[in-house]
Amino acid sequence: MKFTIHRDQFVQSVQHVSKAISSRTTIPVLTGIKLVANEYGVTLTGSDSDISIESFIPKEDGDLQLVEVEDKGSIVLQARFFSEIVKKLPEDTIDIHVTDQLVTTIKSGSSVFNLNGLDPEEYPRLPEIEEENVFKLRTDLLKNIIRQTVFAVSTIETRPILTGVNWTIEDGLLTCTATDSHRLAMRKAKVDTTNELSFTNVVIPGKSLNELSKILDENEEWVDIIVTDNQILFKGKNLLFFSRLLDGNYPATKNMIPTQSKTGVTLTTKLFMQAIERALLLSRDGKNNVVNLKTLGNGNIEITSVTPEVGKVTEDITTNSFNGEELRISFNGKNIIDALKVIESTEIMIDFTGAMSPFVIKPIENDNMLHLFSPVRTY
Amino acid sequence: MSWEKLQSTQSNVVKMLSNSLKKDRLAHAYLFEGPRGSGKKDVAKVLAKSLFCMNKNGINPCLLCVHCKRIDSGNHPDVHFISTEGQAIKVDQIRHLKKEFSFRGVESEKKVYIVEDAEKMTVNAANSILKFLEEPDGMAVAILMTTQYHRILKTIVSRSQVLSFAPLIPERLVKKLVEEGINEGDARIVSQITYDLEEGIQLCQDNWIADARSKVIQLIDEIYLRPKYAFITLQEGWMTFFKEKKDMQLGLDLLMIWYRDVLRFQVGHHEQLVYIDQQNKLQDQSLKISQRKLGSNLQAVMNAKRRLDANTAPQLLMEQLLLRLQEG
Repeated sequence: MKFTIHRDQFVQSVQHVSKAISSRTTIPVLTGIKLVANEYGVTLTGSDSDISIESFIPKEDGDLQLVEVEDKGSIVLQARFFSEIVKKLPEDTIDIHVTDQLVTTIKSGSSVFNLNGLDPEEYPRLPEIEEENVFKLRTDLLKNIIRQTVFAVSTIETRPILTGVNWTIEDGLLTCTATDSHRLAMRKAKVDTTNELSFTNVVIPGKSLNELSKILDENEEWVDIIVTDNQILFKGKNLLFFSRLLDGNYPATKNMIPTQSKTGVTLTTKLFMQAIERALLLSRDGKNNVVNLKTLGNGNIEITSVTPEVGKVTEDITTNSFNGEELRISFNGKNIIDALKVIESTEIMIDFTGAMSPFVIKPIENDNMLHLFSPVRTY
Repeated sequence: MSWEKLQSTQSNVVKMLSNSLKKDRLAHAYLFEGPRGSGKKDVAKVLAKSLFCMNKNGINPCLLCVHCKRIDSGNHPDVHFISTEGQAIKVDQIRHLKKEFSFRGVESEKKVYIVEDAEKMTVNAANSILKFLEEPDGMAVAILMTTQYHRILKTIVSRSQVLSFAPLIPERLVKKLVEEGINEGDARIVSQITYDLEEGIQLCQDNWIADARSKVIQLIDEIYLRPKYAFITLQEGWMTFFKEKKDMQLGLDLLMIWYRDVLRFQVGHHEQLVYIDQQNKLQDQSLKISQRKLGSNLQAVMNAKRRLDANTAPQLLMEQLLLRLQEG
């Protein structure tokens, strides 16, 4: 393998793929970055086996020649050294040349490095991409979807499947669900699919989605999303992000969501959130996050929180509209705040179905988001 | 390694596994149990290769494709190999294992987990993987290996299929070692300690085993001829030579083999003796020591071995052992 490459472009790509590389891997070859040079350009891959990031540097970008490939080939180089080396090289172009024994010469100006490489055959194979099952999302929408669901995934490992977000597509509608069995966040979005695409039970680890969100730039470009048997692929311009999926069946969440309502309340999001934040001030170490809510009969609601050793807080909130039965309910205030933070609506609607059954918070302006909470039993 | 090669040493195990492979009826958890060097790891690797290999000939892996090669080099992303780091299997390793259990494979649906020295898992660690052993999602095979079957939790045993690896016949190894140019006395000792040819050859390198052997004989001499000096010998010769815990275990093994030889001399099994060049001393001691005392000596050495594993200070342990061996 032998090619000459623009330094800035290369450094950027190396930094992108380095994000996927973990120093604590059990598979030795994953400590390296894989480089592949072919007639179209140079591809870099980094992976910790859970997520893999592939960055492609095309031969030409507009009029600018970025890469000149003399010999095709591939090599795996130790990421720790390689990324430091390319960052500090003196000139604007870098020559990379692999001899037969996997020894790689990195040359820039008058400085020359010889690095011992690893066998590229040993590197894990990323799934072959079938271009048929593709759907598209805009980057900003994708980032929003991630932000609005991933906070609700479970952090405890007793039910590993709940540490992921469940994605399903049916009739061109993408539904993303995350739950830790006390609360549930659901986000729906219309998507462009190439054909009658539908899938269920694609559970993406929350950690992978967080990583993805960090890597994506805030822009309006489109991301192609492809689901294979074991992995999901997010394909942006010259950047590919693979994540492994979680094994197992995601619990059926559809019929958990109540359809009718006994008490309906609409509130100004900001007022409600600040009231709950105040109510939580007395809860110590985040242990006791229980907030009580009581309807006052005149359309207003009262929020109270009691920590026996510390004291009590009470606050009245004026509702924007109120209908249905009077009610007394307790819930985990922390969970409500998490959800309110991601609802981008000035007004919200809460539907209660009784003191002992779950309730739903929805934005008023649109219908693409839903948050479900279990009440807390306090007596 | 291939199935045929393993067939010659572990015919029962190979037969069971190859039949399961042929009928595509592998269990989801296996417990390989047998002494060191009996080929557990080789069988586990060949089994993993048989599952992943792309150019299988019947059930035999090709050993040349990318999957087979990567299983050998430890780079296969769907074959997880866990062995002890230092003395025990660490919590981090178990956490990694549990995480891998909950993910789908990297390249295919299949996953293989190989845990070496499974008895080194703490009770908590072992308990936490029970659930995955019992009902793995997808196509996962877990292979646990152990040399100490009785130390594996009953709950793990009951969830896995136990395959017992027969100990190899020591004489075979003696013959092979002698062919490698090692003298018979050393070869006999080595064959009692390990069943693995390569480990055996390694032990014989730098004359380590010969030195260890003479240290043991020296200590025995002191115990019987000059009991007062035994403690000095222990301090000067023994403790400085068997520095590492692992070496100490081997030293105690050698001591145990000596007492067994004395016992064999008493009952007249002369052909099975290990210290073959020490017939005079063996005869001398076999006349002096009662069978009952020999039994309690063996017991004392075994106790010492067990307590060494439980992190007793080696110095105190050896001194106590000497007192036990000397008492009437």
